[in-house]
Amino acid sequence: MVTSANYFDQLRKSRVWRSIFRSGTGASTLHRSLVIQQDVFLHLFPTKVRRRMLNIGVTWYLGTLTFGTFMILVSTGILLMLYYHPSVPQAYSDTKDLQFVVTSGLFLRNLHRWSAHAMVFLVFAHMFRVFYRGAYRPPREFNWIIGVILLLITLLLSYTGYLLPWDQLAFWAITVGSNIASAVPLIGNKIHFLLLGGNFVNANALLRFYVLHCMILPLAAMVFIAIHFWRIRKDGGLYSHSSQPPAISDRSAPKEDR
Amino acid sequence: MVLGLALESVVEPSKHRRPSLWSQLFGDPIRAFGSLSLLLLLSLAIAPSKDHFSQWRHYQNSYLKMIRGRGDAVTLRRHFQAGIQQIWIPELGVVDRCTTCHVGVKEAGLTDVSLQPFRRHPVMPHDIEQFGCVICHRGQGAATTVEEAHMSTLAWEEPMLPARYLESSCGQCHRAPLTGTPQLNEGRRLMARYGCAHCHTVKLPEGGSLEAEDDAPSLSHIAEKTTREWIYAWVKDPQAYAATARMPNFKLSDEEARDISAFLIANSTPISGDTFSLPTAAQNTPSDPTAGASLYGESFCATCHAVQNAAGNVVGGDIGPELTRIGNKVRPEWLAAWIKNPRVYDPLTAMPHYRFSDAQVAVLTGYLQTKSDSEFLANVHLDPRTPEQVAHGKLLCTEYGCASCHEISGIKKAENFAPELTRIGSKPISQLIFAAGMPHTLPAYISGKLRQPRAFAAGLKMPQYNFTAAQIDAITTALLSLNERAQTLPARLSEPLSPASNYQPAGRAGQLMNDLACFSCHRINGRGSDLAPDLTWEGSVVQGKWLEEFLRNPNTLRPALIRRMPKFNLTADEIATLSDYIMTVYQTPSFDRESMPNSGYPAVLVEEGRQLFYSKYACQSCHIVDPKADKGYIGPTLTEVGSRLNATWVYHWLKDPQALRPGTIEPNRNLTEEDARALTAFLMSQKESARQETRK
Repeated sequence: MVTSANYFDQLRKSRVWRSIFRSGTGASTLHRSLVIQQDVFLHLFPTKVRRRMLNIGVTWYLGTLTFGTFMILVSTGILLMLYYHPSVPQAYSDTKDLQFVVTSGLFLRNLHRWSAHAMVFLVFAHMFRVFYRGAYRPPREFNWIIGVILLLITLLLSYTGYLLPWDQLAFWAITVGSNIASAVPLIGNKIHFLLLGGNFVNANALLRFYVLHCMILPLAAMVFIAIHFWRIRKDGGLYSHSSQPPAISDRSAPKEDR
Repeated sequence: MVLGLALESVVEPSKHRRPSLWSQLFGDPIRAFGSLSLLLLLSLAIAPSKDHFSQWRHYQNSYLKMIRGRGDAVTLRRHFQAGIQQIWIPELGVVDRCTTCHVGVKEAGLTDVSLQPFRRHPVMPHDIEQFGCVICHRGQGAATTVEEAHMSTLAWEEPMLPARYLESSCGQCHRAPLTGTPQLNEGRRLMARYGCAHCHTVKLPEGGSLEAEDDAPSLSHIAEKTTREWIYAWVKDPQAYAATARMPNFKLSDEEARDISAFLIANSTPISGDTFSLPTAAQNTPSDPTAGASLYGESFCATCHAVQNAAGNVVGGDIGPELTRIGNKVRPEWLAAWIKNPRVYDPLTAMPHYRFSDAQVAVLTGYLQTKSDSEFLANVHLDPRTPEQVAHGKLLCTEYGCASCHEISGIKKAENFAPELTRIGSKPISQLIFAAGMPHTLPAYISGKLRQPRAFAAGLKMPQYNFTAAQIDAITTALLSLNERAQTLPARLSEPLSPASNYQPAGRAGQLMNDLACFSCHRINGRGSDLAPDLTWEGSVVQGKWLEEFLRNPNTLRPALIRRMPKFNLTADEIATLSDYIMTVYQTPSFDRESMPNSGYPAVLVEEGRQLFYSKYACQSCHIVDPKADKGYIGPTLTEVGSRLNATWVYHWLKDPQALRPGTIEPNRNLTEEDARALTAFLMSQKESARQETRK
């Protein structure tokens, strides 16, 4: 008779599970300490970097640049939050105030906006590079999935931020966007209602999008960025044609380590 | 950290056989990195420097420079506050930062400064702190740059209102006429007169809708009145028949005019009741050729009706239709019946029922028949109508909305026939479809629509009006005042129009007053026109005997004015009914008219009053008591005032004229009790009989 524990054990031994949780199951103390030592926070950065891997031609620094725009977005976003009320009577006039009376307020808004555009562009560029260089292949397949999740979070951040100025462009963009969600079969209208906190774009929608934009999505992005970085190290460092780990590379000849 | 490592790697001298991509692109890595950092720093400095060199700082500095040399520099400098200024009125949603640059708006001393943005605001009835700027001037109050504040930009559609439409902003709150807004008042009058509200709904913030004041005639009995040829010519071009015609030109084709005229004639029904009792009277040519003209003059027809004279000027009133070519229009038997009693054909007409004798009706009909233009209908030849034409005509009448203004049996007045204009004054520019080549502003759109409605697209229904440029500006002003702010104004600020009174006098006198159309000229209890004196308190003003005599034989009271009150040929019974009703009902509650006698004052008091009249108060500057000596032509003649007015009224009038008739130009001289009593005694001694006696 197969118990649920057995099922769980089998699940933990499956390829999918093992690609996510590398350490696997183990009963020994050594194994347990390994699980801790391989924890994400202890391993965000690699123990070593080959100088060759830092040449611009290898990565074009696309991932780093994406992270840089994210940091700009976080810092300008926090400053913008000091001036912005997510309420119907004030949201639009707050954006006007940022434009007209807050010292360098327009610069803040513009920096936030252009960084957001740049981030979306860089995420795509990063993914194209990873895709065409084949860097998504095992053992990096899980990090590719994380990357896709980060892409979705980036797009959702852009989408939720779009509503916050509370102008006509914002209103109708979100109206159209949320109506697309209601096209999902069977539960479409529920999703639509959940997203907006009502049937129309109104005060509830503004509040929800504000919380998503400033709280939930940035936190999620940070968590996944951390995992993303950690997995770079765990998957054998930055990928290039010549940096395949010996265990997987066809050409297992040892390379000069610089 | 990653970036730091990257730096480290480029700092180390390259041991590569070939140079790295970085050095290929940027040359020496250290220098490249240095200059890039410098560039970044410089570009970051743009933000604070843009803030420092902002427009408003520039204007504040030049203001300080400007006032430096002035005599009142110390005062101005004390009033001046640096930094962004704003007027915040949460109740109205106003955040106005205009005074950041317009520093001198409230400085009464800056009379000699014409340089903007430092000019002071002209004297106005409101406090800037209470209303801000954009309530009247529009524009974007929150902005601190000239372009954003004044113009229409990507994120702001409402530019500043051109100065010539500024009165429209008064109309947002004030819906009753104001003395300071002639253009707005005229625009509203024109809108009512030309019946905009017949087709366009205009909802009022206090509830209800704007009413049109024109009274387009019913077309249900049109065949009794005129011919198909005239209808054809009229609907083709109403202004060709009468230059002052209010009906607009629908630019109909020949076929459309033919079919509409066919339909209207076919649709007409005979009027119930006998109206044509004088079919042959019109043929009786009067013995005196000038009798018609003098009867027309004596009856004061020109008070309401205009006629174009030989010089081409339209002379006369605009209450009734122009009569220049009336002979081309109406059938003689209809005209005779109309003059005899207009209320049979149209019970609600503004025309009084003159009690003309049959002979007078014939004379007047004959006179009006001569007012015709032999060429007017000369080229109109219509074949007999066909059922197809009638059916098509009915369709056209429905499509063009004829029934919106005219009563036409068989066609219902269409609801929401034309676009609603409740918020036209704040319609976003992005929702307007402009004609080619016109400026993309709301006032330009509205005035363009008034100038040439059909020029905007093919197939539009709005007809062509013949407004002058000044009239178009006036109507545009009135329309701009119908906006979002007017609709959402706090009740505290709204000054609604007092609702039109539907006062109706009772009984036989009431019927008589309707018959004589008293309300076409006089106002009573808020209903009626202001062409003639308000009669609301007439019973307290005059003496009954005088009133009866006046109704029998009206005469003017003011030498400077033309007499307008027609002689209606009332019977003694009718006169008694009217004067009884007026004397009994129209009394003011503020005093008892019997409290002072109308005669019998002691001669001493009369003499004292005479002294006061001529010396202390110099009443003869405006009034005449002695026709030989006095020259006052502004106020009414007082030669027979003792027979005309009630003594108590005279006394209270002298004490405080504005209390009895708000807005009268008679000055309040703050008379003492004694002076007022003496003057009353003197005035009441000026009696008709007394004069006749002295004359003898």
